[in-house]
Amino acid sequence: MGTLPPADLYRQVAEANNRGERVVVATVARTRGSTPQQRGAKMLFFEGGEAAGTVGGGCVEAEVWAEAREALRSGQSALHHFSLTAEEASEEGMVCGGTMDIFLDVWKPAI
Amino acid sequence: MKDSTDNLSSISSLLSRLFSDGSLAVVVTLIAAPRNVGAKMIIEEKRSHHGSLADPALDLAVILQAAVFLASKEETRTFYGREFAPELSEFSEAQFLFELIQPEQRVVICGAGHVGASLAKLAALLGYCATLIDDRKKFVRREDFPETNIELVKAESWSEAVRAAVGNGRGVSVAIVTRGHSEDEQCLRAVLTLSELPGHGSDLDNLPAGTPDYVGLIGSKRRTRIVLERLREAGVSAEQLANVHAPIGLDIGAVTPEEVALAIIAEIVAVRRGGSGHSLSSR
Repeated sequence: MGTLPPADLYRQVAEANNRGERVVVATVARTRGSTPQQRGAKMLFFEGGEAAGTVGGGCVEAEVWAEAREALRSGQSALHHFSLTAEEASEEGMVCGGTMDIFLDVWKPAI
Repeated sequence: MKDSTDNLSSISSLLSRLFSDGSLAVVVTLIAAPRNVGAKMIIEEKRSHHGSLADPALDLAVILQAAVFLASKEETRTFYGREFAPELSEFSEAQFLFELIQPEQRVVICGAGHVGASLAKLAALLGYCATLIDDRKKFVRREDFPETNIELVKAESWSEAVRAAVGNGRGVSVAIVTRGHSEDEQCLRAVLTLSELPGHGSDLDNLPAGTPDYVGLIGSKRRTRIVLERLREAGVSAEQLANVHAPIGLDIGAVTPEEVALAIIAEIVAVRRGGSGHSLSSR
């Protein structure tokens, strides 16, 4: 999953909302140390289980997925802190060992 | 209490409009606070604004900070309230995500010789959409440019092809690197007289014609000076001519065509990001 052009991203959000579905927009708000993605990287999570874009490959994505599923259910937007220790990073065979603050924003359909 | 998600659908339609217009704007989202998390404001370049963070004093501070953020040329930055509105103690630990909305970044390359072809590939690698123009069909063959973000144009007329590719100029960098001085001059003239054409740019997007973010012309100092002088005599304003990067590119001692292309794309990036072009070690 590559980088999603921003215009596409908001179009997909609007389309999902128009279908009456919630969408979670995950955005990397802050990074510290060696992280796999830049500030501003975005990933979408849909109710059907699909996703688009990326916030950082295998290092944190599984955790972000889990939080995004919870946010889709609860409807609560919140800032989450993710950290990746060196051991976890080496297990994944990846070079990332920093922390990321990722904002999970729930976009809801108009009522 | 105003529900912060009330106007989200109008925000997504506003964002779609901003993207299709090629506008410059800042989206500010409240991402950490005791309440209203997810509330958004959109501040357009001309300072018109939409949405609210549900506190008039905070909204005003955010609008002022959006102008600072826009000038910084950063694309994403998270601030604590205390960093830009220390007087609003209620929000000092709140966090605000500032994001830039900007037009798609494009590089229009006039001339598909060795420099132009290398430039198209480098630009595509860096994530730009490239438009490569030449009047010789065999220089703009798809089999030589498999990259999907390189558009290939066989020009019948340089002027028309360049004008069509530059469009309203928003987010556009133009590199003029044709095989000949006469072709270079035609292309530069077409770019610099864009805004004088009545109705140009209004057919698709209802925007006034603009000037590109960057225009560069290849050639020696002496030769490019002659071209600029001829355009001045033809009535192009000194102000417009002063904005032309001629000779094109940063001084990296480029020798090969690929190195010249690197010097050009480096200058385009430096202009976009506000970099000096100096070695980091010399700062």
